[in-house]
Amino acid sequence: MADNELAIKIRGLKKSFKVYYDKSNSLKERMIFWQRNRHENRVVLDGVDLDIKKGESVGLIGHNGCGKSTLLKLMTKILYPDEGTIEVNGRVSSLLELGAGFHPDLSGRENIYNNASIFGLSKKEIDDRLGEIVAFSELGTFIDNPVRTYSSGMYMRLAFSVAINVNADILLIDEILAVGDANFQAKCFNKLKEIRNNGTTIVIVSHSLDQIEQFCDKSVWVHEGKVMAQGKPEDIHMQYLEYMGEVRRKKEVLLSGMTPVQIVESQQNESTLRWGSGEVKISSVKAYNCNKEEQSIFYTGEDIRFVIDFKVRDKVENAVFGIGIYRDDGLNIFGTNTKIEKFKDFEIKEDGSYEITLKNNRLLPGKFIVGFSIEQGDVPVDYWKTALEIEIVSHSGRVGTFDLEHDWSFSDKNIVK
Amino acid sequence: MFKELYKYREMIVSMVRRDLRSRYKGSILGFAWTFINPLLQLIVYYFVFKILMKAGIPKFHLYLFVGLIPWIFFSTCLVGGSVSIIVQKDLIKKIYFPREVIPISYVIGAFVNMALSFIVVIAVALVSGVVPSVGGLLCLPVIMIVEFIFALGLALIASALTVYLRDLEHILGIITMAWQFATPICYGEFLIPERFKAIYSLNPMTPIIRAYRAILYEGGVPDLSTLIESLVIGLFFLVVGAIVFRKLQVRFAEEL
Repeated sequence: MADNELAIKIRGLKKSFKVYYDKSNSLKERMIFWQRNRHENRVVLDGVDLDIKKGESVGLIGHNGCGKSTLLKLMTKILYPDEGTIEVNGRVSSLLELGAGFHPDLSGRENIYNNASIFGLSKKEIDDRLGEIVAFSELGTFIDNPVRTYSSGMYMRLAFSVAINVNADILLIDEILAVGDANFQAKCFNKLKEIRNNGTTIVIVSHSLDQIEQFCDKSVWVHEGKVMAQGKPEDIHMQYLEYMGEVRRKKEVLLSGMTPVQIVESQQNESTLRWGSGEVKISSVKAYNCNKEEQSIFYTGEDIRFVIDFKVRDKVENAVFGIGIYRDDGLNIFGTNTKIEKFKDFEIKEDGSYEITLKNNRLLPGKFIVGFSIEQGDVPVDYWKTALEIEIVSHSGRVGTFDLEHDWSFSDKNIVK
Repeated sequence: MFKELYKYREMIVSMVRRDLRSRYKGSILGFAWTFINPLLQLIVYYFVFKILMKAGIPKFHLYLFVGLIPWIFFSTCLVGGSVSIIVQKDLIKKIYFPREVIPISYVIGAFVNMALSFIVVIAVALVSGVVPSVGGLLCLPVIMIVEFIFALGLALIASALTVYLRDLEHILGIITMAWQFATPICYGEFLIPERFKAIYSLNPMTPIIRAYRAILYEGGVPDLSTLIESLVIGLFFLVVGAIVFRKLQVRFAEEL
C-alpha cells in the first residue's frame, strides 16, 4: 500500500517500561544505591506492525494491560518507542484525557481558549470554532462562569466539545463515550459518526465491543504486546471472546483456592475438570431411571434421577448444590443450583447426599456429560465438571439437542395428504 | 521544532497569561505584588548593606535596585524553571504538545514581570535624580533580550534534568545564591580583590548587570560590545539547552 494512503504506519514497535522496586529520584539514594537501582523491564509492546488507512476507523481491543492504551499514547507522541517506528500523518487530536489543563478559576470561555491552544490551535482558529464549541457543549450562559462552579457533567461536555471541534485528521479516543447523560452520549456518538463520515481517521480503545462493532471498520486485537489479529470487528471479537472464555476458565481453576499440590494432582488426573477447596468431596454420583434402576442410557422424555453422595472433611456453611449438563463437545446446555432456585443456604456438617431429578427430560439423542458442584457462597468446594456420562436415545428421529414441543398447521388448498 | 513551536504559539500566550493572572490570585493586593515585592526586597537589602555593612556607594538603593530586578528574573528562571515541567506533569502525561512550551512560557512570564518591574525602577531612578538617556532606554530591550536568551537556555536544561533528578531544584537554590554573590548585585565591584578579577569577569551575568546600571543608575549608554560575550554564552546555552531538552523530553511522561 502506498504510504500516502496511510494515516498511521507502525513497524516493529517496541516499548518497555522500567518498573522500579524502589524508585529513587533523589541524589542521595542514587549515590548510595547506584549499583543496585533495582528495576525490572516490563515489555508492554513487543514488535507491533500496524497500518491504519486514512479515513479508517479502528478499534483496539484486548484485556487490561495488553498494551493497547500504551499504543494509543505512542500514537499521540506522549510516549516514544524504544525500537521501531511510528509515523503519523496529519494533525492528531486525542480524547485521552478530557479537560486536561482546565483551570477551575477561569471561565468556560477562557478554558476553551486554553484547552484548544494545547491542541495547537491558533487564536484565529479558536475564534472561528468558538460558536460551535459553545453550542455543542449546551452550556449556554454558563460559559462565562468559572469552571469550578460546573457540575461534572457540564465539565465533561465542555471538554468533549473542545476536543471534538479541533478538526483533527486523526482522532484518538480512549474510553470516552461515557460522557454526561444518555442524551449527550448519543449526541457525542452522532458527532463522532459525522466526523468519521467526513473522512477523519479514528482510533478507539474500548472495552465495549458493541461500540466498536457499531462504529469501526476494523478491529485490532492486541495481546501481550503484539497484534494478535485484525479484521472485521465481528470476526475478531468472536475470536477474542472465545479466547477470553478459555482464559477465564483457566483462571477459575487457579483462583479456586487449591493448593499447588492439588492443582498438580488435578492436572494429572482429571485435567482441569474438577476443582475446589475440598472441605467436602463428592464421593459418588449415580443416575437412576424411573424404575429405580441404575442406568447410563435414557430415553428422551424419561425421568432421570441423580443421587450425589458427599463426604465431609470440614464443616461448610452457606453451601450451594449445583448441576451442569454439557454436550459432548463441551457446550453447556443446562445448569442451575440451589441458589438460583432460591433455596435457603445449606449447612453441611456430616456426610450425606442430595438428589436432583430431571423430569421428562427433553434431550435428543447424543452423549452428555453431567457435572455436579458444591460451593460455599461463590467459592467452589468441589466442582466436578465431568462426574458422569449419560447417553440419550430416542425413536423419534428428531435431530438436534433439545426436543421442543411444536405444532404444525397447513393451508389445505395446496397440500394433499 | 521552530515550526511546531510557532504552531503552538497560542498555547505559550495562554500559559503566560494564565501564569501572570493566577500568580497573585486570591491575594488582596493582587497584581500590585508584582511591584510591591521588589520594593520590599529592596528595603531589606538596603537596610543590610547600606546601614549595617556600609557599602559606601552613592545612591546605593538605586544601585541595588537596578541590579536586583534583573537578578530576580534570572534566579526565578533557574530555580522556578527547574520544576516547571514537574509542576505541569498532569498535562504532560495526558496530552501531546511540544514540551518546550512549558519552560518557554515560564521564562516569558518571569520576563514580563521583570519588564513591569522596570517601570518601578525607572520611577525610583527619577525620584533619585537619575534621568536615563533616550539612547540608554533604547538599549534596554537589547540587554533584556540577551539576558532572556541566557536564562531560557539554562531553564531548558534545568527543567529537563530536574525531571530525572529532583534534588536539582535544591542544588540550584544554593547555586543561585552563590551566583548572586559572585555577581555585583549588592556590593561594588571595587571590593573584588585583584587576583580574583579574572575569574570574576567570566561570569556572564556581570556584564549584563553592568549594562543595566549604565542605563538606569548612571543615566548613560552602555557599551554594548561588553555584552557580546554574554550573548555568545547565552546563545551557546540556548542551543545546548534545546538539544538537551529534546533528548530528555522523550521519557518525560514515564519519569513523571
